[in-house]
Amino acid sequence: MDIFGVLNMGSKALTVQQKGIYVTGNNIANVNTPGYSRQRLNLSSDVPLNTGIGPVGTGVTANEIERVYDRFLGVQINNETQSLGQWEAYKDSVERVEMVFDESGGYGLNQVMSEFWNSWQDLTNNPSGSIERTVLVAKSEMLTATLSQNYKDLQQIQRDIDSNIKGAVGEINRLSENLVDLNQKIIQSELSGHMANEYRDQRDLVLKELSELIDISSFEDANGGTTVSVGSGQVLVEGTHTYSLSTQPDASGHRDITWIDSSGNSVIISDDISKGKLKGWLDARDVDINDSLNKLDTLAQDLMAAVNPLHANGYGLDNINGRDFFTIEATTATTATGIQVNSLITGDTNRIAAAEGADKPGDNRNAIAIAKLQDMPTMNGSTVTFGAYYDSMVSDAGLAVQQATSYYDHQSQMVLQVENYRESISGVSIDEETVNLIKYQNAYQAAAKLIKTADEMMETILSMI
Amino acid sequence: MRVTQNITTNTLISYINQQAGNLLKTQQQIASQKRINKSSDDPIGMGQVLGYRNKIAVTDQYQENIERGMTRIEFNELTLDFASDLVDTARELAAEYSGSTQSAATRQSVALQVKDIYDQVMQMANSKFDGNYIFAGHATNTEPFTHLSDFTATYDGDEGDFQIMVSDGVEVNLVADGRKIFQNEVNGGVNIFDELKNLIDGLEHPDPVAGSAQIEATVKVLQDGRDQINDSRSEYALSLYRLQAADEYLTNLRPKVEEAMATLEQADLTKAVVELQNLELAYETTIATAARIIQPSLLDFLR
Repeated sequence: MDIFGVLNMGSKALTVQQKGIYVTGNNIANVNTPGYSRQRLNLSSDVPLNTGIGPVGTGVTANEIERVYDRFLGVQINNETQSLGQWEAYKDSVERVEMVFDESGGYGLNQVMSEFWNSWQDLTNNPSGSIERTVLVAKSEMLTATLSQNYKDLQQIQRDIDSNIKGAVGEINRLSENLVDLNQKIIQSELSGHMANEYRDQRDLVLKELSELIDISSFEDANGGTTVSVGSGQVLVEGTHTYSLSTQPDASGHRDITWIDSSGNSVIISDDISKGKLKGWLDARDVDINDSLNKLDTLAQDLMAAVNPLHANGYGLDNINGRDFFTIEATTATTATGIQVNSLITGDTNRIAAAEGADKPGDNRNAIAIAKLQDMPTMNGSTVTFGAYYDSMVSDAGLAVQQATSYYDHQSQMVLQVENYRESISGVSIDEETVNLIKYQNAYQAAAKLIKTADEMMETILSMI
Repeated sequence: MRVTQNITTNTLISYINQQAGNLLKTQQQIASQKRINKSSDDPIGMGQVLGYRNKIAVTDQYQENIERGMTRIEFNELTLDFASDLVDTARELAAEYSGSTQSAATRQSVALQVKDIYDQVMQMANSKFDGNYIFAGHATNTEPFTHLSDFTATYDGDEGDFQIMVSDGVEVNLVADGRKIFQNEVNGGVNIFDELKNLIDGLEHPDPVAGSAQIEATVKVLQDGRDQINDSRSEYALSLYRLQAADEYLTNLRPKVEEAMATLEQADLTKAVVELQNLELAYETTIATAARIIQPSLLDFLR
């Protein structure tokens, strides 16, 4: 309780309040840093001295710089981000499918099919007319070209998804390396017993970025490192050790996602991924787009199966029957991409069989029979017409987008909510920091005053000599 | 709850995005005048719109079929009208010159006249429309009737009829078999060419009495022949009537389909504009609020 004690107390207070200003300054500087959690200087009164009048305080001491953080919120943000990533990827993909079936321009499959049937009707008006025959061939070629173009456009989306998946897997591996690096730094710097606040913030951010791509489960070890696993428990990061993901072609040539174990063996984990962008892409590629591809192919097959036998029944102007109207290009695997107008017919339109009998150029009965297929329930076990079958495909594509959009919008709100929650706990408030700044500044000034007082006291004593 | 500047700005950005999105959608509806611009705007509605578009396209096609059919019937009608007049002229000549007192020279000149009529009727029976023989059945590229040297005629067409698609599953039949009109003895009718030949033979008969009887016999048959042609005309009239009825049906149907499609597809402009105004107000209010909220901080009030 001497003057030196006062001086000492003042000098401690000065440094501590200065630390306070430093921490406040750091908070203000990082107000817009993504993933930053505000920090707080924890103060306590220093160990008291026992004197005749009881314990007397010896000033202030700074204990640690604490990171204000709720670890459960971190998990929640990651979960919601996984769902957001899933719906975002799915929505983007099905929106592209919807564009393939766009009918607003007027040259969708609906329009082209309608023109195909109408040109058969035109032929019935003048069964031996060469203009009518030429137009029919042109419209038929447009139909087959549109079928195959739609099919190829859908396949292109699948291929683009494949390259997205490859890119995402590379990104996951990069983030894993990042995690290992951060784990290392955290473990090292926490050996001293203090929290590695900045590195922990960065690690949380990396985990969030990872969550956008794939569903992960993570936990923290006793030494501060995290373990992250994906799929059905395949470990991606374990403290300072990382495994990697890769892709390999599946039976249909698309990319399967694999996990490489320590001895280099691949384990396919595609089916075990349940969230994140990867899941959204896989769903769009393997469910929605595959479904549309199959339906287009069925449409092409059924169209051929309905038109060809009727056409083969009839006779061309050259009095020959038994020709197919549509043929399949030998080199293609699917009807939708391979369907084409019989080259015999494109070579000579007189071979279009409008007549039911030979030597009957004015007979339009076979053309009528084919034209009538338009409103006949020929598909889905003879329950829907070609047109209605395609229209329902367009509806399905729209429905997928509509649903994905509403899930996506909902999920965006969810993420905003939890982010705001996190922000409300960990975010920096300029107002608050300004108040703190003034608070620490005042304390600093007062501490300086204390030293000055001690100095004056000292001078008083010295002047007595 | 602690509210930081970031909460305020993030929330504002989210709302501004949402409202700008709604605004854009309404603007699109107004610009395109359509409520459904892509399938996801109304998936079920889009399916129906496509169905309606098909319906309209096929209705237009049926009406085109009908129009072409009507032109064809009118052409047939004109042709047969002329043919029926020709046969009637022959009948009148037969009635007028059936008496045995007519001089050989007169009969000879009348015979020449009837031969002309014969050729003209044959020309009518071999008429072409759109480059096709109209009374040859399905053998539209074959001249159906051939004039043999003895004034008999052969038919080289077939019995096929022409059919016109007028609506889903309905076809109107047009007789194209020339024999039903000109050589219908198979069905107990008249062979007009044979009868004209009988008349010519009668006029050229060396024995006036026998010839006169032969001429007189043709009068009644030629009358029947003319009726036969006119019966075919009334059959065409019936087909025409069916085409007209179908056309009327389609003409009435089309605007109804269009209306149904418009109701489904088109934007209610008044509603959209009112909505746009509301959205604009909301949007402007939000950004105005944003401008006021994000500016001040405690720093503004410290001096």
